[in-house]
Amino acid sequence: MTATRTAPAEPVAPAPVRHTGRNAGMLNALAPFAKIGMVVGGVLSVLGAYLAWSTFVLNKGAFPERSTLTMFVEPLGVSGYRLHLTVLGIAVIVVALLRIPARHRIVRGLGLGITFVALLNGLWIIVEGGGFGAITASDGTVAFGAVVALVGGLVTVLFAQAGGLEPRPEWTWRLPWWAEWILLLVIFAIVLLLVAEVLTSGGQGGVVNPYAGVVFLSLLAALAGAFAALNASGLLGWVAVVSERHRVFSVVVLLVCALALPFTNAGTEYWMTVASNIGVYAATAIGLNIVVGLAGLLDLGYVAFLGIGAFVAANLSGAAASVIGIHLPFLLVMVISSVVAGMFGAIVGSPTLRVRGDYLAIVTLAFGEIFVRSAQNNIGSLTGGANAIPNIPQVAIGGLAFNESITIGAVRLPSGVLYYIAIVLLVSVVMLVFGNLKYSRLGRAWIAIREDEDAAAAMGIRTGPIKILAFLIGAMLAGLAGAFFAHKTGVVAYDSFRFLESVTLLSAVILGGMGTIPGAVLGASILFVLPEKLREFSDYRLLIFGLALVLIMRFRPQGIIPDRHRKAELADTDPEDVAREGPGALPTEVEP
Amino acid sequence: MSTFLSQIANGLVLGSLIALIALGYTMVYGIITLINFAHGEIFMVGAYGGLATLTYILPTAVATTWYFALPIALVAGALVAMLVAVAMERFAYRPLRNAPRLAPLITALGVSVALQEAMRVFYPGATAALPFPNLFIEGAVVIPIGDGVVIRYTGILLIVVSLVLAFGLERFVERTRLGRAMRATSQDRDVARLMGIDPDRVIVLTFAIGGALAGVAGVLYGSYLRNVNIDMGFQNGIFAFTAAVLGGIGNIRGAVVGGLVIGLVKALGGQYLPGGTAYDYVWIFVVLIVVLVFRPQGFFGESERVRA
Repeated sequence: MTATRTAPAEPVAPAPVRHTGRNAGMLNALAPFAKIGMVVGGVLSVLGAYLAWSTFVLNKGAFPERSTLTMFVEPLGVSGYRLHLTVLGIAVIVVALLRIPARHRIVRGLGLGITFVALLNGLWIIVEGGGFGAITASDGTVAFGAVVALVGGLVTVLFAQAGGLEPRPEWTWRLPWWAEWILLLVIFAIVLLLVAEVLTSGGQGGVVNPYAGVVFLSLLAALAGAFAALNASGLLGWVAVVSERHRVFSVVVLLVCALALPFTNAGTEYWMTVASNIGVYAATAIGLNIVVGLAGLLDLGYVAFLGIGAFVAANLSGAAASVIGIHLPFLLVMVISSVVAGMFGAIVGSPTLRVRGDYLAIVTLAFGEIFVRSAQNNIGSLTGGANAIPNIPQVAIGGLAFNESITIGAVRLPSGVLYYIAIVLLVSVVMLVFGNLKYSRLGRAWIAIREDEDAAAAMGIRTGPIKILAFLIGAMLAGLAGAFFAHKTGVVAYDSFRFLESVTLLSAVILGGMGTIPGAVLGASILFVLPEKLREFSDYRLLIFGLALVLIMRFRPQGIIPDRHRKAELADTDPEDVAREGPGALPTEVEP
Repeated sequence: MSTFLSQIANGLVLGSLIALIALGYTMVYGIITLINFAHGEIFMVGAYGGLATLTYILPTAVATTWYFALPIALVAGALVAMLVAVAMERFAYRPLRNAPRLAPLITALGVSVALQEAMRVFYPGATAALPFPNLFIEGAVVIPIGDGVVIRYTGILLIVVSLVLAFGLERFVERTRLGRAMRATSQDRDVARLMGIDPDRVIVLTFAIGGALAGVAGVLYGSYLRNVNIDMGFQNGIFAFTAAVLGGIGNIRGAVVGGLVIGLVKALGGQYLPGGTAYDYVWIFVVLIVVLVFRPQGFFGESERVRA
């Protein structure tokens, strides 16, 4: 194995770092002590993990008798944060003492993880335990573990910053192909297990278990710290390069991993249902991604196509409430739903021939509202109005209904697992369609239109039909998802397709990263898993959601997975450019 | 005949309310070409601000005497709405001043959801519709045509206040120094800066005026319909946007005319078009689509102009 690294070699004697900008003076003063400071931070974090955190009784018994003992038995339970802090703290000490590239950046990632874990658990103890008394001295016990760990985390971050952040190294190791395959396999398997553990951490939330939310968040913070450290070390980038080298293999393994989820901890009926819903919205979000991400046409009524697909499927499913009253095979129903939704997509898209930008967004919003109103009023007796269309029969293949649990050998898989497998396959197909479209002639035409419509037209792209095609194909994907949705939930009501759902879908696309394939899936997963895990904050769900939208637009408009090719629309912050092409001429004279 | 005239009256009342909201839309769009989705929520916040003043701040004796309660509630609603609008501009939109187009539009959606939810979570009892007192003299004018056309005094107040405010706003924009600064900024922000105008101040002023008008509209709406709910902003906001587009966005007189037309479409469409009141919203959206597609510059807008 030969290792070459392109990162600047670590100097033998650390060159003095010159900080500029805010707090430069303080950082420069601290720079010589960076190494010792980072070690101190790590030690404080480990120390904090073993001190008392609360003076009240946790669900396993009062501290320290019961809670400490559970930590290694249940690494993901209520007091699992102790283990996480210990691991992160030791990692900080080790990395600070090693001579590896980008170590300050790695330590900063770890330190941020420590800070957030300490902060979350400390705050939660304060809130649940009745104020600051819960973590300060009371009953003769001094419980300042949270404070020590928090200070440890902050000290770590501060000194890592002072030590100077190095550029992220790029590794160019090459292993034999079979070794890389095995490596990828192992990594994806670990990711699968982590996902399952994170999903089930702390148990299900709600009234029964008030700890679920904070345990989940704390675990997430710890993982985020570890993730940031791995990213800073350049290892993640290397794995990405390796998986790019074995593209087909990676895709197959990912698919297998997704299909293997029912065999893990998360293989319960509850999570199968949640995962199926995520799948429905992910497929729809990918469709929206074609319209918004590729063609750059903002659609604010997109959920209507999901609704149209669902209502078409409901009417053709033989449900008692449907006026049509015929029962077609599921696959045929999916095709019909998709085609009908696609037709409506073309209709909604037709104003794009004349209307651009904001005005187009409003036209699509108006179409969406018309759909909801019509469905609410049971238009043509097709939508059931306020009664919805209930009791849609389950999908069945050869007498095996999809909602039954199945047993393979000694393993009993929960009910809903067949729906889960079906939606995984559906999402895979949709991703395949999207991926191929994006790099096809059509996809390049969409991107050209997004970047500059007039220039695209000048290059000979027939912008009109191509824009309508974006709406049509996007709507067809949503229609497919809708047909699935109708059968999975068994009820289709107009209420599921309101404006807020369109906004949620749009947020999923933006959060994940516009125009990328995994982005929409990731965004949909985040937006639908978080509310499930954070039931006790459900009152604040939409409030946080709205604020998050504002903050994303402010600080990371390109999303979690930015599109490499994407330049304009959201990532472009060059003021010169905007001043030149900008919002266009302002039709704004007030009448004289 | 009297049904028809009653619906005309209803339409005019609703229309002048929508016109008042539309003024804020049209001014903000005129200056920074942003469809401020959250403007409808500003209207809602104004209504709750007025209600909170009446419920929690004023002594009962004052709150139930209309000639005290009305002006105080209007001013309170306007102030609350103005503050929220200015804060929104400062923290959500200003950092995105030079960002590409999609960013502020999506931010506006986020602000809209956040404001609505903040009100639902933090205002006591706001999970359901809240009763709102009538702030004007009870009773109605009955015009003796046919079975009699009834217009409540509150409705007349609404029409008068809206028209007076719209007229005042137009005078302000046309005749005053600040109004001239606003027009200059909307024509070309950079040149306006060269002329010694601070565009940031002008934009804040625009948001403040639009917010105050929406706040007044919110209090009047509550007083007329006798209740407020957190969804009222979204729907009326969309109507107002339609009105602004209809009249030619950026145009004050257009917004008023557009608002009245929308009010009449809703009232008459609910009465005479198939589907009745269940579909009256649909007709407004149909009007919106038709106008945007076939005459995006609106009634009073300029001739063809490509909107990027």
